[in-house]
Amino acid sequence: MPRPSKYDLLQGTLDLLILKTLQMGPQHGWAISHRIRQMSADVLQVNQGSLYPALHRLEEQGWVSSEWGVSDQNRQAKFYQLTRAGEKQLARETETWAQISAAVTRIVEA
Amino acid sequence: MLLTRVFQAVRLARRRGQLNDDVRRELAFHLQMEIDERVRAGMPPREARRTALRDFGGVDRVQEEVRDIRGATFWDDLRQDARYGVRMLLRSPGYALAAVLTLGLGIGANAAIFSIVNSVLLAPLPYGNGNELVLIRQSAPGIGRPDTGVSIAEMADYRAQLTTVQDVAEYHAMSFILIDESGPDRINTGVVSPHYFDLFRVKPLVGRAFIAADDAPDAEPVLMLSHKYWLEKFAGDDKVVGRVVQLNNRPHRIVGILPPIPQYPTDNDVYMPTSACPFRAKAASTMEFGRRTFSGLHVFARLRSGRTAGEAAAEVSALAENWVRVAPAVYRPDQTGFAAGVARLDQELTANAKPILLSLLGATGLVLLISCANVANLSLARTFRRAREIAVRSALGAGRGRLARQLVVESTLVGIAGGAVGLVVAWSSAGLLGAFASLFTPRVVDPALDGTVLWFTLAISVGTGLLFGLAPAVTVRTVLTEALKEGAPLVGYSPRSQRLRAVLVVGQVTVCFALAVGAGLLLRSLYRLSSVDLGFESRQVLTAEVFGNWSHQTSEDDLLNFYAAVLDKVRAIPGVRAAAITNAVPLGNIVPGERPIRIEGVSPPGVETAMLPLADQNLASDQYFETLGVPVILGRSIEPTDRAWSTPVAVINETMAKLWGGKDPIGSRFRIEIQEPMDFTVVGVVRDFRQYGLDRPAIAQYYTPVAQSLGLGGRLLVRTESSPLWYASAVKSAVASVDREVPVEDIDTLAALRANRLLSPRLVTALLAGFAVIALVITVMGLAAVIATSVSQRTREFGLRMALGASAGSVLRMVVTQGVRLVVIGLVAGAAGALAFGRLFERYLYETRPTDLRVIGGVAVLFLIAAMFACLIPARRATAIDPLLALKTD
Repeated sequence: MPRPSKYDLLQGTLDLLILKTLQMGPQHGWAISHRIRQMSADVLQVNQGSLYPALHRLEEQGWVSSEWGVSDQNRQAKFYQLTRAGEKQLARETETWAQISAAVTRIVEA
Repeated sequence: MLLTRVFQAVRLARRRGQLNDDVRRELAFHLQMEIDERVRAGMPPREARRTALRDFGGVDRVQEEVRDIRGATFWDDLRQDARYGVRMLLRSPGYALAAVLTLGLGIGANAAIFSIVNSVLLAPLPYGNGNELVLIRQSAPGIGRPDTGVSIAEMADYRAQLTTVQDVAEYHAMSFILIDESGPDRINTGVVSPHYFDLFRVKPLVGRAFIAADDAPDAEPVLMLSHKYWLEKFAGDDKVVGRVVQLNNRPHRIVGILPPIPQYPTDNDVYMPTSACPFRAKAASTMEFGRRTFSGLHVFARLRSGRTAGEAAAEVSALAENWVRVAPAVYRPDQTGFAAGVARLDQELTANAKPILLSLLGATGLVLLISCANVANLSLARTFRRAREIAVRSALGAGRGRLARQLVVESTLVGIAGGAVGLVVAWSSAGLLGAFASLFTPRVVDPALDGTVLWFTLAISVGTGLLFGLAPAVTVRTVLTEALKEGAPLVGYSPRSQRLRAVLVVGQVTVCFALAVGAGLLLRSLYRLSSVDLGFESRQVLTAEVFGNWSHQTSEDDLLNFYAAVLDKVRAIPGVRAAAITNAVPLGNIVPGERPIRIEGVSPPGVETAMLPLADQNLASDQYFETLGVPVILGRSIEPTDRAWSTPVAVINETMAKLWGGKDPIGSRFRIEIQEPMDFTVVGVVRDFRQYGLDRPAIAQYYTPVAQSLGLGGRLLVRTESSPLWYASAVKSAVASVDREVPVEDIDTLAALRANRLLSPRLVTALLAGFAVIALVITVMGLAAVIATSVSQRTREFGLRMALGASAGSVLRMVVTQGVRLVVIGLVAGAAGALAFGRLFERYLYETRPTDLRVIGGVAVLFLIAAMFACLIPARRATAIDPLLALKTD
């Protein structure tokens, strides 16, 4: 059963997670949230209420593109794909994240 | 910038339906996947669906959020703002009406003038690729001929040698006499190369254009009718094509009818190919090698694609330089300064109209600016009256940006409504303005409200709406703080907004002053021009053209006998005081052709021709000066005894007499230094008079007898005892009694010619003065509104002053002074602008300097008087304040 997310994901963090997930190839929304949950061992859960606005925002910014396609179960699904600008953005955000998390760790563990 | 946003919004609105659908399908898929997952985990399907739905959350909220991200809300908000705006405007119809009408006038003036600018300056010429058309022009400035025309031989050289142009075609004007059952009719005829209309890419409306075979020496003479002549003479009957008409002594077949096109340099009734013109054909057949005769052609050419008029000009100029090198005796470059060049036809067609139209557009722009400031002022006052409403909306959660936007949307609505009124104004004045513009350009002016004009109007409507909406929008913050203050009056004013309004009024005065000074200068110039002493008596003189019929009067003697007979008959008409034949009707449509003269005993012997003074020759019969009422100062007038075989004589004017340097010119001789020089003996001196224009003082001028001038002349002047036009039919029958196949044309009066010369300055002045009056009225209204607001704001203050003993007079003075001060500031600020604007009109001013202090001062005084009147009404209200009541208010 889905549990309520323990942490309110910062918006920037959610974008980073989505972009990172899409780096492995085009995915539809449900698969993205599923993948994030899996990879974070159920710690991070993205519900549709924040996922879809985030996806549309990323598309509006030109970092992902979308296309209707057919899912594994033969259903119509909208697939999102990283654009070249998105890849650059992912690199930038990954770096920023590394800096921030290192900084936070230093403070917390001091 | 706004337009792109609007377009974006429209596109988004279209996309929105699709977007909603997209998001719904996307979420449905997500939900289905959740259900599937639960089913896979062993949950019964119904239970799986129920729990999944429960955990899923609102679909609507996601849709809304996505829509926000995608920006579609801009459109929604805009629609909401617009609907609200319309409701608010309907609630204060007085404001809405005043604003819409003020803007409507401003926008209408702009749309109307722009529709003219559009059809005259912006729209392409109605010829195929009209921008490729040029005309080749040869000039000899040294002998006062800016346009010498091109000879047949020169044209042949151009056609054979120019590489920058695709093709070359010739044109010259002739006049023929069309004879049919309704009598003789002199028709202006364009004699053109057979491919002339192909060069212009003009297709005939009916029938065919000329073909090469029409130009063969033995071909049947053919004609094409101009659109206008076809309508006038043949009532637009298609069947006229194929008909044979008599022109002079020869039948011609009508083969085609032209569409309505601008004709340059003159409007013609019919066109014929070159071989059909007897003079042109004769000149071509007798043309000797190297002899450059019959140089009256206009030459048109079409640039090869990619070539510019500048490149063509260089090539033409080089060609001309080569001719001059080869045949210096023909071109006499030292004297004539012969040169050739190229002018673009589209610029040539609009050269006169362009500065006038652009000045008018500038003026209407200023009017719009002023009306914009006025509406800004009105809406500023209204914003403060609405302080409470705005505060309530703010309290209900509307952000400041949203509130400001609401105000801008409202003003844009007013702007668009004003634009609609403006279109009506423009539409109803289009015909008049089209006729006005036709005075300045041969282009067919059809000021249709086409797409360009509509876009222009929409753009300035929205633009003005935004512009005058900005003032209230930036004050939203002030409004809010004022409205929230404890004990704020119901009607919230702030000193800051009052200051802004004062600045607007000062700005209006500044701009309006410049406009009014421009109009004042034009008015003064028009007054000077219309009261100028012409030097001749223009009242009660009839003029008419009687050129004879060259297939009847075949020799010079025939023509002279014909003129003499016509003069005899006309002078015998009861009520005719005097009559004369001339080539020069004062203020008619001729231009001077000055030539160097050598004066016997005065000009230093051996002086070069180029150093000689210039004088202009006109032809006159006996009674010419008497008919015009020009006094003979010395010697005698031209007499009937001056015959072809007697001594060549000349009567000179005062300006020319000055060339004698104080010596008595009577009896001395002068020589015209042209290829075949001619000598004249001076027999008289007449007073100067203005021959070539109201604004052109007399130049050195001599008159020689028609009888000694190869039978040229052709224009009749008749001084009558009463209204000259009453004599028109008597003059016609007098001519008909001499020769029935000679038309009498262009019957007019000298007074009408004079009025005609005043027509275009009068119209330009009237238009500009009209704009200035509109601007002044708007400005004064704006001033009155500001003062009125200020008076009601200061009710308590005035009450207190009066309670303390201030007299009504001093309060009145205070209020009026406040208004006048604004105007004075505006006038001082506007003085520089007025000078600059006046300079713009300098070339249209006659004996009026743009710095004319009387005009500037007069306009300033007018402004001050208007300002005082504008302030009097609110000032009177201030004096009527009851101190007790005023102090009791809250």
